[in-house]
Amino acid sequence: MTERIGVYICECGPNIKDAIDLDEVVKFAKDLEDVVLARPFGLLCSQEGKTFIEKEIQEHNLSRVVIAACSPKEHEHTFRKVLEKSGLNPFALQIANIREQCAWVTNDKVLATEKAKALISAAIRRVVLQEPLTERQIECQSDVLVVGAGIAGISAALTLAQKERKVYLVEKLPSIGGKVARYEDLFPSLECASCVLDPIQDEVLHNEQIDVLALSEIEEVLGYYGNFIVKVRKRARFVDVCSCIGCGACFEVCPVKVRNEYNEGLDERKAVYIPYPGSLPNLAVIDKEHCLRFNGKACSACQEACPFGSINYGEEDTIEELKVGAIIIATGFDLFDPGKVPKYGYGTIENVYTSLEFERLISSTGPTEGKLLLKNSKPPEKIALVHCVGSRSMESNEHCSGVCCTYLSKFAHQAKEKLPDVEITQFFSDLCLPGKEAQVFFNKVSSNNEIEFIRLKSPDSLDIIEQGGKALVRYTDVYEEPKTAQYDMVVLAPAMVGATDAARVAAVYDIAQGKAGFFSEEDTTLYPVASSMEGIFVAGCAQGPKDIGASVAQGQAAAGKILSRLVPGEKLALEAAVCEIDEGLCSGCKTCIGLCSYNAMTFDDKEKCVSINEVLCRGCGTCVAACPSGVIKAKHFTDRQMFSEIEGLLRYSS
Amino acid sequence: MPKKPKIAFYWCSSCGGCEESILDLAEDILAVVEAVDIVFWPVALDVKYKDVAAMGDGEITATLINGAIRIDEHESMARLLRQKSKLLIAHGSCAHLGGVVSLANFSEREDIFTRLYSDVPTVKNPQGLFPKSGTIDSGNYLELPGFNDTVKTLDQVVEVDYYIPGCPPTPELIKEAIMAVLEDRLPERGAVLAESKALCHTCPLKESKPETIRIKKFKRLYEFEWDPSRCFLEQGIVCLGPVTRGGCNARCIGANMPCSGCFGPLDNVTDQGAKAASFLASLIDSTDEEELQRITASIPDPAGLFYRYSLASSMLKGKVAGNKSD
Repeated sequence: MTERIGVYICECGPNIKDAIDLDEVVKFAKDLEDVVLARPFGLLCSQEGKTFIEKEIQEHNLSRVVIAACSPKEHEHTFRKVLEKSGLNPFALQIANIREQCAWVTNDKVLATEKAKALISAAIRRVVLQEPLTERQIECQSDVLVVGAGIAGISAALTLAQKERKVYLVEKLPSIGGKVARYEDLFPSLECASCVLDPIQDEVLHNEQIDVLALSEIEEVLGYYGNFIVKVRKRARFVDVCSCIGCGACFEVCPVKVRNEYNEGLDERKAVYIPYPGSLPNLAVIDKEHCLRFNGKACSACQEACPFGSINYGEEDTIEELKVGAIIIATGFDLFDPGKVPKYGYGTIENVYTSLEFERLISSTGPTEGKLLLKNSKPPEKIALVHCVGSRSMESNEHCSGVCCTYLSKFAHQAKEKLPDVEITQFFSDLCLPGKEAQVFFNKVSSNNEIEFIRLKSPDSLDIIEQGGKALVRYTDVYEEPKTAQYDMVVLAPAMVGATDAARVAAVYDIAQGKAGFFSEEDTTLYPVASSMEGIFVAGCAQGPKDIGASVAQGQAAAGKILSRLVPGEKLALEAAVCEIDEGLCSGCKTCIGLCSYNAMTFDDKEKCVSINEVLCRGCGTCVAACPSGVIKAKHFTDRQMFSEIEGLLRYSS
Repeated sequence: MPKKPKIAFYWCSSCGGCEESILDLAEDILAVVEAVDIVFWPVALDVKYKDVAAMGDGEITATLINGAIRIDEHESMARLLRQKSKLLIAHGSCAHLGGVVSLANFSEREDIFTRLYSDVPTVKNPQGLFPKSGTIDSGNYLELPGFNDTVKTLDQVVEVDYYIPGCPPTPELIKEAIMAVLEDRLPERGAVLAESKALCHTCPLKESKPETIRIKKFKRLYEFEWDPSRCFLEQGIVCLGPVTRGGCNARCIGANMPCSGCFGPLDNVTDQGAKAASFLASLIDSTDEEELQRITASIPDPAGLFYRYSLASSMLKGKVAGNKSD
């Protein structure tokens, strides 16, 4: 059958019209094989343009359409819809990008015109070989798993929890709230953190659509977007969640003292404990690793003390299987360990703290109940705040965490509020105060308080040594002068990095992990919360450093992505241009299996060949390039189509 | 008695291995001789070119030509045999894809002559004599076949009906091809008469091949003590089994050697060498530019390795100027 191709050339206002000789391009395109007509038009993506093409397709009985306009990234979907509306398969369209690739790359009209002709010739040669494709649909689960009950995970869960869907909110710690629960005040409004967090934590715990699984971790994930099967290990709490009221009788009698991780090790807790006053759910938990009873000793102090008979040493871990359609990973961040860079004296010099430790020191629920004290219980007189510890440096982490400059301003404000006479010095090399709030907050804090700012030559042109029980900061300032100054407290702002167990998490979900341990997003600009696996989303600081507002926004964004695609009772629409394998010709060499980023290839042990799961496949074509037998076909990107396109490009005659 | 079908064999630029492969039919050759008349076979029978020229068009049922097209004599004989044969079968890697001899396309004609007749240390050529197509000796004009600019496959010169792959093909494949001709059960014209799946499918080591192979260095057999019971690729040894048509009975693998690709590409592959490079690249375990270069540098003579049997038929074609494409 002879094809009937219509070629439409967009003027794109003056963008294309002024840069390319459109009369010549039209004349050229008209005479090419299978071309029925070639026409210029003012603005094809406008309503008039779309209606024009639609009418043309019907009037001239076109079978294929070539549009010479802007990048297909911009309007391919627009014109595909036009084709569909006119009764053509949307894949009967090919776009020649004569704007970004011709008009915008040269001022030479002759060259731009020639290149436009070549691209149109290529598009015509390709479009005749394009095959009609149809969107596929599958049954799906609309329930969602959210991993990590920090602010991002909670926000996602609350956005998702609607009448007809269930959300499983899984948290590995005994309580929810994440890092935010450890803060006293939040910048920029200096709102109290628990005032922000408590109501939404409460909402999560009482929402019937949300199942909170604390002390739980995901062990295995099988399946694909729309149909995941997830295995959750619920670790034994050894405390009956129904009868425990968190009264604290048990931990008062517990003889074991261990490092209190919630207070960053600044004080101790018991082996049976509640993470912090007001932690939710308000339930005690036994730390099996340290409890005497689980270490072969005969202790049952807590059981004896519990007025409700809630202690159950016989409780065992349980494995629960969940069926969900999508997963949001919001497992948060950790701070870069400044102990890794000995010059900061962290861990060796007293009163050198990380920012998280300072958060606890200043917190009313912290080890000093909010009193800002040195190790010797005296208030500090001089505090140094050190920016960019382990960040913006090629040796540790290249990135900027983007929040430290703001929270160090908060620290300065908090310290001054507690100790008006304290002297504060900030060591920085550059300040990062983005957005509409941070600079304003910084200005306010800096003008209200006398804070010394010392600009360093570079983020790491500073070290700290001990001098007479105090910290001596030795630095080179921006004027390249080496100087020293003594402080009795130093607060380091270490880089935010991926959570310490991020690699394990990445392996469980088979998602990509990028620099500094954060999970990689599919596309920084357009798909910031999509992971490398379809149906698995990343939100909050697990994806990269960000402030609380941005974490909440990502949690809600990920939830929104899911709500819009996984609708209860509806089928899931899948990408049409995926890869397919001719199983009868596959030699079973397995080359493709390890290469697939989406786990779409499986080896059929019986047939000794590979099959592709079309739900998981995104049509990226990696397997196609690698398949040594050439039996995997990327729909819409076949060898024939591409060779033909290249031939069209190389063999056009001007 | 009905007339027996006529069969002819001819060799062009080849090493003789394909002729050997016919002899390797051993006693089976007697069955072939029983069933057919061999009317032309320069290596074994004294039949002259003029005898062939005297045959009627299409008189020969099938002609098997091995060797690549190197000199104009090959070209004219290929044309003559095409005319006289109902079926023309490319026999062996050289006729099929260019073979080892087409690696000459990485050198220009003049460079080949300079190397062979002057630069090779064991050659003494004080008069600077180089091959020519004609010369006068003692008053007589002597003519030699002309040396073409490039080596070509058989089907770049004449139409070919079927291909028997291999360097050399196995006797089993040759016998099967001849029987298919005699019993009139040939597949679609243009087919390669071997398996349609890659060697991996029938490789005796396939069970040891893991789902993921990551290579930090390509190793050669002499460099370490490798395990003959495990997949070569898994041990970092270049094996072209995945990118090569099966049907060879895994002869090399059985002899503890990795596949070097003589059965050529699969039906859906346009360029075996490019495919080999592309699939091997996909196994490399690095994202660092410098390390990647180091790893790829551990493949010796990649062009010669990947295109060992298929340069003339490839898209790469070689270095030689004047390669026409259509």
